[in-house]
Amino acid sequence: MDLWDSWKKGFDAWENRTAALMEQVLKSESVLMPMGALLTATMKAKAASDKAIAETWERMGLPTRRDQERTLHALNQIQSRLIDLEEKLDALEKNRN
Amino acid sequence: MKRITNLLGLLTRPKPQVGLTPADEVFAENKWRLLRYRARPEGLAFHTPILLVPSLINRHYVLDLMPGKSFAEYLVAQGFDVFCIDWGTPGDEDRFVTFDDVVDGYLGRAIRQAARHAPGEQVHLLGYCMGGSLAAIHAAVHPDRLASFVALAAPVRFKDDGLLSRWTNTRGFDVDVLVSAAGNVPWQLMQSAFHLLRPTLTLSKAVMLIDRAWNDEFLDGFLALETWGNDNVSLPGEFYRTYIRALYQDDGLVSGRFALRGRKVDLKNLTCPTLAVTFEHDSIVPAASAAVLLEVAGAKVKQHLHLPGGHVGAVVSKHAAKTLWPQLTAFFVQHEVRAKAGTPAPAKATEKPAAKKVKRPVPREGRARS
Repeated sequence: MDLWDSWKKGFDAWENRTAALMEQVLKSESVLMPMGALLTATMKAKAASDKAIAETWERMGLPTRRDQERTLHALNQIQSRLIDLEEKLDALEKNRN
Repeated sequence: MKRITNLLGLLTRPKPQVGLTPADEVFAENKWRLLRYRARPEGLAFHTPILLVPSLINRHYVLDLMPGKSFAEYLVAQGFDVFCIDWGTPGDEDRFVTFDDVVDGYLGRAIRQAARHAPGEQVHLLGYCMGGSLAAIHAAVHPDRLASFVALAAPVRFKDDGLLSRWTNTRGFDVDVLVSAAGNVPWQLMQSAFHLLRPTLTLSKAVMLIDRAWNDEFLDGFLALETWGNDNVSLPGEFYRTYIRALYQDDGLVSGRFALRGRKVDLKNLTCPTLAVTFEHDSIVPAASAAVLLEVAGAKVKQHLHLPGGHVGAVVSKHAAKTLWPQLTAFFVQHEVRAKAGTPAPAKATEKPAAKKVKRPVPREGRARS
């Protein structure tokens, strides 16, 4: 066994121990709760900033990003409904034959 | 010496080619598409198609990673007609795509499309990871078109002692604020949650790379898997809201409180032959969380396959080709839907008309975002 192999063996043992320990630490509520709170606070700040930008667009009489997203989504929904109808027509035709 | 040369060569080594098994796009709707792998030259050996349902978070080509490490390629070589869903990359407008749209709408459509030319219009359904959970939900509500169901490392009980369950149930985490602000939930957020499952993994992988860098075959496989692992997809916001709230926080699937488009999801209605595959060292989907499917499913034929290995390695590796894949194939063959007398022999998938040649997966950086 050369030097690398013995080092690797030691590393694997350390990695297993450390991973288990970190899992315990990360699973604790005292770590998870502040992480969650930080994420929520960041998202609230983003929402406030997005709202301010959207209001600016609206004041200029332009569609907001959300308006465009809604429109595109509506088009996708129409496409899905058309495919639904096609499927139903195919089924009717198949039954008739 | 080879180890050092290969390590230095990593900087100039070409990116591994992934998802190479020839396939055609046979259906597309919004961002998702249905791929049909081309049949082997001697034609199909089995009538009943297999539909592969990958997770929405990752790219579909994990099931067709690279030659020799491709489950799709293996199934094609056995004579199956193989379909796979590519969920695509959600655009900003897909923040409004709901759980019902995906599981009842898109998945249902994929099953119907794949089943069109099969005897009895039935398919074998195989869902991997989150794809398995979605497929189980769909199968419980619409069991009629299924010849068999395989849940491959698919979580069914979501509330456990694992980190993901604890994180989504922690008091500081507010899924509504996240979805309202972010729209689609960024893949970076989900990937960082997976990193937290084993924070030392990156270091461990680096050491493994140095250790086995002398082996060119290992390097190719390693790089292909890393390409896939870093090519994640953001989740549609409304879909994510239901996924977290109803499944992770409420654990509604096992309890029977979950509903799909207003219809109660009772896994007792999953009556086709069912196989649950779990892995011993799966840190993403603990075996107990996946195996519970067999306790609640109403199928008469239920099998459990518990194998050594991790969540990804046990599914895409040369070892999987000798252990997992033959057992899955045997399950499909066992539950093949017999063709009625007079039904023509299975057609070659290459004979099907009007199919577009599939493009190779494009790395995330090069993908156009709407």
